[in-house]
Formats: sequence, structure tokens, C-alpha cells
Amino acid sequence: MMRVWSHRPKFLHLGLFIAAYVLGCGFAQSLAIVPGTGISIWPPGGLFIATLVLAPRQSWLWWVLGGCLAELFSNFVWFHSPLPAAFLIYVGNALGAMTGAWLVTRASRASVRLETLQDVLAFVVLAAGVAPVVSATAGSATLQWFAIQSQTFAEAWPLWWIGDATGILIVAPLALVVVQNWRGEQLSTARWMEAAVLALIFLGVAALSLSGYLPFAYMIMPPLLWTAVRFEFKGAAVSLLLLALITAVFTISGDSQFAGDPESQRDRQVMLQLFLAISAFSALVVAAISRQHQLAMLTLRQNVEALRRSEQQLQQMIDAVPVRIWSATPAGGPVYFNKRYQDHFRAVLDGFDRLDKPGIAQLLQELVHPDDTAEVQRALEECFATGNGAAMRFRWREKDGVYRWAECRVEARRDEDGSIAEWYGVSLDIDDEVRAQQALRERERELSQLVNMVPSHVWRLTAEGEPTFINKRLGDFLGLDVEDYDQPGMNRLAGAILTSAHPEDAPVIAETIGHSLVTGETFSMRWRVRRADGVYRWVDSRAEPLRDESGAITQWFGVNVDIDDQMAAQQALRDREREFSHLVNMVPIPIWRLAPSGEPTFFNKRLIDFLGLDVAEYEKPGVSPLAAAIETVVHPDDAARVSHALNHSLATGENYALRYRLRRADGIYRWMEVRAEPMRDENGRILQWYGLANDIEDQLRAEEAIRESEEQLRRLVDALPTQIWAATAQGEPSYLNRRLAEYVGLTLSDLDMPDSSRLQVAIQSSVHPDDAPSVGRALVHSFGTGETFSMKYRQRRADGIYRWINGRAEPLRDADGQIVQWYGVSFDVDDEVRTQEELRRTQERLAIASQAASLAELSASIAHEVNQPLAAVVANSHACERWLTADPPNLERAQRTVERIIRDANAAADVVSRIRALFRQSVETRTGTMLASVVAEARSLIAEEATRRSIRLDVGIEDGLPPVAIDRIQIQQVLINLMRNGMEATSAVIGDRVLAMRVRRAGEVIETRISDHGSGIAFPDRIFEPFFTTKGHGMGMGLAICRSIVESHGGRLWAENNEPQGAVFVFTLPIQAKAAP
Amino acid sequence: MTGHDRIVFIVDDDERIREALGELLASHGIDAVTFGSAGDYIRADKPDIPSCLILDVELPDINGLDLQRQIAAGDHPPIVFITGHGDIPSSVRAIKHGAVDFLAKPFSDADLMAAIDAAIGEDRRKRAERADLGKLRQRYLELTPREREVLPLVVSGLLNKQAAAELGISEVTLQIHRRNVMHKMAAASLADLVRMAERLEIPVTHSRRAGGS
Repeated sequence: MMRVWSHRPKFLHLGLFIAAYVLGCGFAQSLAIVPGTGISIWPPGGLFIATLVLAPRQSWLWWVLGGCLAELFSNFVWFHSPLPAAFLIYVGNALGAMTGAWLVTRASRASVRLETLQDVLAFVVLAAGVAPVVSATAGSATLQWFAIQSQTFAEAWPLWWIGDATGILIVAPLALVVVQNWRGEQLSTARWMEAAVLALIFLGVAALSLSGYLPFAYMIMPPLLWTAVRFEFKGAAVSLLLLALITAVFTISGDSQFAGDPESQRDRQVMLQLFLAISAFSALVVAAISRQHQLAMLTLRQNVEALRRSEQQLQQMIDAVPVRIWSATPAGGPVYFNKRYQDHFRAVLDGFDRLDKPGIAQLLQELVHPDDTAEVQRALEECFATGNGAAMRFRWREKDGVYRWAECRVEARRDEDGSIAEWYGVSLDIDDEVRAQQALRERERELSQLVNMVPSHVWRLTAEGEPTFINKRLGDFLGLDVEDYDQPGMNRLAGAILTSAHPEDAPVIAETIGHSLVTGETFSMRWRVRRADGVYRWVDSRAEPLRDESGAITQWFGVNVDIDDQMAAQQALRDREREFSHLVNMVPIPIWRLAPSGEPTFFNKRLIDFLGLDVAEYEKPGVSPLAAAIETVVHPDDAARVSHALNHSLATGENYALRYRLRRADGIYRWMEVRAEPMRDENGRILQWYGLANDIEDQLRAEEAIRESEEQLRRLVDALPTQIWAATAQGEPSYLNRRLAEYVGLTLSDLDMPDSSRLQVAIQSSVHPDDAPSVGRALVHSFGTGETFSMKYRQRRADGIYRWINGRAEPLRDADGQIVQWYGVSFDVDDEVRTQEELRRTQERLAIASQAASLAELSASIAHEVNQPLAAVVANSHACERWLTADPPNLERAQRTVERIIRDANAAADVVSRIRALFRQSVETRTGTMLASVVAEARSLIAEEATRRSIRLDVGIEDGLPPVAIDRIQIQQVLINLMRNGMEATSAVIGDRVLAMRVRRAGEVIETRISDHGSGIAFPDRIFEPFFTTKGHGMGMGLAICRSIVESHGGRLWAENNEPQGAVFVFTLPIQAKAAP
Repeated sequence: MTGHDRIVFIVDDDERIREALGELLASHGIDAVTFGSAGDYIRADKPDIPSCLILDVELPDINGLDLQRQIAAGDHPPIVFITGHGDIPSSVRAIKHGAVDFLAKPFSDADLMAAIDAAIGEDRRKRAERADLGKLRQRYLELTPREREVLPLVVSGLLNKQAAAELGISEVTLQIHRRNVMHKMAAASLADLVRMAERLEIPVTHSRRAGGS
């Protein structure tokens, strides 16, 4: 029920339907002119069918109910049939309508638009033909059953059927048109005019025809059909409606041909109905045909339009695509070139547009590279002759005269029977591609050369591992080519391994390659390959997979590098390394190595044994390995120092050398001398530190002992009351003992001065300037020859006083006799020397005094010597006198004074006797002396005086004289006395003043002759007597003293006269000294 | 004559001479100190009493004459030279440089003693002079700066008025200063003060005439 309700049509529509139905019933009633039948055209049938056709089937119930309501109402108003009969009639009408609607919708399958002939025919047959059968049958049966108006079934049925059919034919199309085209397209003004004209014609014809003779009624056909043709369905529907109305009007008014007497009414009714049916049928069919024609025309126009558009698009496309397209006749005559082609022609060929359909040959001649023309020509000809397509590449001239590579493809289009309809061609610019290909080919060639030329062995495997390529070098090396690996019963890879690999390596290779092939990992291994001559050589083999875009392996490329020599070298290196490592561990010295950062990286076995630790065993968290190592193994007192020095070395790269205590495994610290040096690379960067530790504990102890003993020795040396020094073999002072240093106020370091040796400084600063040269000479002589140095010289004491020193030095020699060291001692002999010096000076003074032979000076000197004690004697005498004369006399002091007087008087006497002793020296002072040197000395003493007196000294001394034992001073005195006498004698000589002196050996004596050319000697014997003088002044003592001196030496002195004038003084000295008489 | 109010220094390298002279002076009741060399003498502490130096010309370290020249700058006892040689140039040189006597060895007792007496007498006089001058200097140092300015003007003979004008002070003030100067210098009279100024070698800055004109 709810379903029915939900499909309820709008009440407005339902109301309109009911109203239309009622009006239709009224219309039918008004046309029911045939008496006693009440049957006429039945417009509600058409309305009902049209409504049901348009309405959804679910709502039919509502429409049926609405129709029922309308018909029953109409029955009540007009028909006045009994209600059951009316109801049954309605049932028949409804069934008929439903049947018609159902059939029509079934036949049309879509909306019923009545636009095709098929639709119209289906409508006419099914709706107007079949549906009324149902309603006519039901209605006729009802009429007969209720005997309404006493009509029989057979009589009523045709009328009924025609009435219903006519009603359906007229009303249903109209209803459909009205409902479906309610808002149809607007008609143009021209159409409206046409419609108006047609309407007028139609009304006129209708009025004319229907009012006359029945057959004239069909005169309405032409305007009706015209309307149907021109205005199609709408026109037909409207015309039919008008026709029906006009007919009805005329019929009702009785003017129509269909109105007549009741007998003829029936026939006229039928005629009317037939007329309307035929008119409706014809109009509908014509309208449908017209409609169909219109639709066909429209479709055709649309198709033509679409075709044109698509052609235009195609043309645009052809012109837009960046290829040149042309077509030709089957014989090859050009038909079409696309725009690009034409642009190209225009750009390249002058006056292209003036050419009238240029032939292909001509174009080829003009455009194609001369080298390619013939080829292209031939290809094209062949193509056109055989009908096969062609593809060719050639160079094509472009507008700026350059040739570019193009590819031209020609294909034939064939019609259905296979004959060639047309040729199509395209030309593509492939210049870049061709050049790229050329470059690629070039590269490929180069690569191929490279692969064959590289001094490596290159090979290639397929993804499955099958060798497919080996380069020439590898081929030459192996003495075979890749095909030679094909062995029966195994794949090529296995064959290759079997053939080329060392039998020991083969399984490993197979496994490794297999692994790489499966996993795609790089293949890398070293193996021995068999050379063509059968020798196995080590190679380093590597292979990498080549992958395509998807990552799949396509090839394997591999190289073999001959590393045989390298392997041999490595083997040797390893051997050496092992040996070295052995050595490092065996040497009895702890050796270690640090990284540049200071981290210990290696301890040799000795060090590990010593420390009881290996490199990594002292590591502590949070402390650097170096610091940890130092903390662990270095004595705590030394740790800071070691750490500092080590860090300094690490920072600066300076060598590291330090002594400190290391802890032995047993916990005992031992002194070590640790040294480390960096090893650097070519750039000077430090790679490693190498260090070694020397156990110097024992050495240190020994050194300590030595130092102690040395210290003792040094103390001893310093304590000795002797000045001791040492010098190097070259004579550089290397040690001064404390006494010496204190004595001279110098230390060894004071001797270090720039620009001079220690020895020089020592001599300059400590030796008396007068002695320095001779000391220096003597030392240099000793250091040079190794002779003992021994000398007396003055040495400057720290307080600036020079004191006499007896210095001696002896060399210390090693086993080879080489001088190792000089040791020297110095004794202070100042007091002795001064005593001697004093004595010598006194002697010298006297000697010089006598040598000077100025007896006044001699006497003055003697007087001083004597006056000194005499003055004391006098003073003491006065004192004594005073002590004695004092009251009371001081006898004690007087006595003392007298004692002094006696003493001093004796001293004065001593002086006198000493003076005498001067001339009678004891033998003790005599030494073996070379007389020549004494003569030379005397000569130099007298030289100045001789020069003053303009006297030439002529001295001749015989060579090889033996030494004589003499008192040098005394003999010198004699010589000077005699020479001065000679000079004084010569002074008077005018002319050549010569004083001659000759010394020669005469038997057992040495004879010295001094001759002058003076006045000679009157009394050669007397002149030697004391106080005998020939000179104007003088005491006459000189010659007497001289004779006494010579005689005291065991010699003789005498005088002779010289020839032709002058005097000769001769004295002899015995070679063997004799005791003084 | 005996007493220890004087001393004789003997410098001689000959011990016999030292002994003998010491003995001789002792017999005359005179204290003597002997030295073997000039260096010993120079280094020795010497009592501050009238004294005399008997100096040998020939000494081992320094010649006696050279020693005389060396010590001439300071206050030293008068020197009596003794010598074994007695050459004239040496003696002349010694006397010219202020030696009291030059005796040749051997010399007589009388000569020596006379020379010693003369030398000691001279020394006494010199000492007294030195003492007076010292006192004078002391007094002079006690003067105020203004008084030291007044003193030269007064001893130059300027009138009080002139001196006051010179210093730009009133005459009364100058008179007060002058009185103070006289008092402090213990001068009995202006003449006394003038003598003192001479001894102190205070220059006379103004002549009266120059000041008066």
C-alpha cells in the first residue's frame, strides 16, 4: 500500500488528467451522433494510453483510479449507463489502455517520442490497433450483457474499435507532443508565418471539404500532409486536433457530410471515424517520415562538420610536427610537402615559389650533399620500382649552406587490392644523433684500443660468469684466446680456471668468483696465473659488475695486474720483517715505539719481560695511554720530568734522551737511559717514535764509584801543597788544581776567551810579560815534540805579585806511545830564586861595575857597601857612649850596643873581603860554557861604545870549540877590560879603526887574541903589575885583576906588540878546568 | 827632654841601621818606631803626636824621595833624609821639597839630633796652626747664611750703611748681624776678624773705595 502511495503522481497532474478525461468523455458524448449507440470517437482512450506511456508503471494504479473516477463521473453526467455496466466498460477501457501502453513502451524500449517511422508504426499498430481490441471487446460485451440500447456485440464492436482507435490516434500523439515538447524549440518568425498560412489554408480547405460531399473531405489531405511534412509531429498533432474539432463542429451542427439521417448516421459515423483515423494515420506516418528525414539530414550535416574539423586538425598537426612530410604519386611524382618542407625549400632554394612542382630528382640535386645524391637517388628509384619502403640517411643542405644529417623514410600506402595508392615520406634531422654516434664510435674504437693497449690484463664475463672477452695483452700473456677455454663437459668459466689458474688456487678462485656472481660483490683476489710459457705468476685480479638501470648485472669487467715481482718482494720483506721482529725481540735492549701522538704502540719482548706489561696492559680510563704508561712504569719522582721531556719531544720533534728510573716487573726501580728518535716521512712529518731503554743501573753504580774515587783523588790533588795542572795532548789546559787556581786567582773557565786558546790566555794572564814568550815557546815546543817541559819563570800571584815558579810538565802516553794528556806541576821557588837572584845581582852589579871599569863607580859602590855597616857602627858607638855616660850608666844596653858595633864592623870587613873575592872566585861557580857565547855577549856589551868611538869590531871564532869551565862573569870582565883597553888605544888611530878578536883552539887550551893598532906597549911585562897605568886616568888595577882572573882559571894572560903597530893581548883557558891554586 | 810627647819614625831597609838609630834615639830618651820599607810605614798606624820621619833614600820598594813626593799632599811629619851615597842632586831635591835635613851615612850623633829637634819643633808648630785653623773653621761653620754674607762685606771695610745697602737690609739689622759675627767668631776687634778671614781664605769682595764711590 505504501509503495503505491509513494508512487502517487502529483494531485495537480492527477486532477488535470481527470479533468481532461471528463472533457474527453464529454467530447465523445457530443460526437455520438448515431442514435442508439452512444459509441463514437473515444478521446479518453488516447489520453489514457499517452498518460500511462509517460507515467512510471508503478503509478498506473493511481491513473487507473483517476480514470475510473472521471469515467464514472462522465457516466453519471452524460452516458447514464448502469453503474456496473459503466464500471465494466471502464475496466475494458483501462485494460485496453494498459495493454496499449505496455506494448508501446515494450516496442519502443525508450521514451515514446514518435520520431521514427518505426515508433509511429508501432504506436499505430499496437496502441491504435491492439489496445482498442481489448476495450472494444470488453465494452461491446458489456453493452450486450446489459442490453444497453439493445446493441449486439457484433454491431457495437467495430464501432467501438474504430472509435477507440480514432480517439487514440488523434489524442495520444497530441498528448505526447504536448507533454514532451511543452517547452520545445521556439519557431522562427518565418516558421510562424508559414504556420499561420498553413493554418489558414488548412481551415479553408477543411471548411470547404467538410461541408461538402464526403469524398471531398479527403481534400484536406494535402494541407494536412504538408503540415505534417513541414511541422512534423507537432504540426500533425495540432492539425489532427483541429481537424477533429472542425469535424466535430460540423458533425454536431449537422452540416457535415457525416451528419445525416439516423440510418445513414451509422455509416457516416463509421466514415467519420475512418476519415479521422486515416487522416491521423497518414499525418502521423508522414510526420514520422519527415522527422526521420530531418534527423538524417541533421546527422549528415554534423558528420560533414566533424570530418572537416578533423581534417583541419590533421593538417595543423602535420604542419606542427617537427618533421618534414611529403607524399608522392605511386610513380614518384611529388604531391605534397608539408609546411616545414616548404619553409626549408624556400630558405635553401632561391625562388622556390616560382618553381612549378619541382621534381624529386631536381630537389635531390639541389639539396642533398653531392656525395649522397647518387645513393639517395638510387634508393628512391628502387623504392618506387619495387614498392618496398625505404629508409636512407644523407646530408642535407640547410639554409646557411651547412649540411646536416637527415633520415628519410618512405612507405607506400596501398589500397584494398594491394596496389600502391600513394607514397608517404618523412624526413628527420638526425644530425646531432649521427654526430653523437660518430663520436661514440670514435670513443668505442679508442676504448677498444685502450683496452688492448693498457699494460693490464682486462677481461669480461657475462652475468653468468662466462668469459667473453680478454684483451690482447692478456691473450698474449696466456698464449690463448677466450674461445680456447671451451672444454668439453664443463662451462667456459670452469675451463678458464682449469686452464689458467694454479691448481692450488683453482678451487678458491671458483668459489670466490661464484660468490661474486651470486652476490654481485666486487671480486678481488690474488692468485697465480699460468703464463704461455707455463710459468705461474702472481696476479692481483679484480672484477666489478656492470649494472643496467634496473640494477641487474649485465657484465663483469675485470683486470689482472701482474704482482709477481711485488709478491716476491713482499715475501722477502715479510721474511726480513720477521727476521727484524725476531731481532728486535732478541736484542738485549728494551725497544719501544710510540705513535706521533705519544701513544705506545709496541714494546719488544725484552721490554715486556722487563716491565711485565705489554703495550695495552696499563691503560686506565680517562688517562691518555702515554700518561698511563708513565704513571705505571716510571718512578714517581721522575714522572713529571719524563712527562715534560717526552711531551716536549712530541711537540717539537726533537730527539728525546733522558735518564730515569723504570719499574721492573718485580717492583724494583732501575735506572735507565732512554732515548727516542722520530722517524719521518718525505715531508718531514713524524710517523713513529722509536725508542730504546738502556739499563744503566750497574753503569751508574760503577760511575758513582768512579766519581767517588775521582773525587778523592781530586781532593788529594787539591790538598797537595803543589800546583798541579793538566792539559790535553794539544796543550790546552784542561785542569787546574785548587792550589794552582787559588794561587793564580784563575779558574779554568776564566781561560775561555774568544779568539785565543786557553794556553795563550793562561800564559798571558799568569806569566810575567818578560817570561811569557819564552814560556810559550818552550811549552809549544814540548807539546809539539813530547819533550819534557821544565822551566823557571815568574808567575803572577792572585795579589798581582810575580813569584818565581819552577814549572815542569810530562806527557802521559798510551800504549801506542801517543800522548794522551800532559800533567804539570809548579813549585813556588821564588824565595830560592830571589836568594840566588840577589846573589847574582850583587855579582852582576859588581861585574858590571868592574866591566864598566869606572873605578869611581866601583869605589862608590864599595863605599856604599862599606858605609852601611859603618853608619851603623857610628850610630851604635854614639849610643854606647850615651848609655855609658848616662847617670847611672846603662851597661846592659851599652853592652848590647857594643856587640852590634863589633858585628857591624865585621860586616864592613866582610864587604871588603867580598870585594877581594870578586877577583879570586872559587871554582864552585864555574860551569862548562861555550866561550863563543861569552865572547858574543861581551861584544854586544861593548858594541855601543865601539860605535860611539867609530871602531869596527872584527871578531873571528873557530867552529867546534869545546866548552870550557869558566866563571862566566869573570871571563866576561876580562874580555871587556881587554877590549876596552884596546878601543882606548885605538881611539888615537887615524884611519881604519879596527879592534880584532880571534878565538881558536891551540892544543889543550883555547886561545883568545885581542889586537889593536894603537900605540903599542912599552913595557909588556910591567903592565900587569897593580897600580901600573899608561892611561891618564885609572887606578892601574884592571890588567892586574884580569891576570889574576885568568890565572885562577888555570890560564895565562900576556901582552905582545902587534905588527906593524899596536898591541896584542892574549889569554888562554884550558879545556880541562883545573882547580884554582 | 824625656817624655812620650813625640816620636821618631825610622824607615831604612838595613836592619843594622834601624837597630843602631833606634838604640841611639833610645839613649837620647826619644821613642822611635822603625820600618823596613816605605809600604810598611804607609800602612802603619801612627800616633797623633809631634813626630819626625828619618827616611833612607834607597829603599827596596819605593825610593825615599818618591815617598816624600807621595805623602807631600797630606799632613806628614817633617822628613830627615839619610843616605849611603849622598849625591848632591838628590839632596838638593829633598831639601827643595821640604826635607828638614839630608844626612850622609855615616853621620854624627849631634847632626842627627839637631835635625830631629828641628823637625819635631816644626811639627809642633804646624800642629798648633792646624788646630787654630780648625777652631776657626768650626766657628765659621756656626754662622748663619746671612752672617756669612755679612762677614766678607765687613772685612772688606765697608761701612755699615754700605753693607746694608749691598744686602738690601736695614743698617740696624746689619749691625745685629755684625755683632753676632764678631761674637761667634770670638773676634776681639775688627782687625782680629780681618786676620781670621784671611786665614779662612775668605775673599775680600769689595774695596772700600769701590764701595764708597
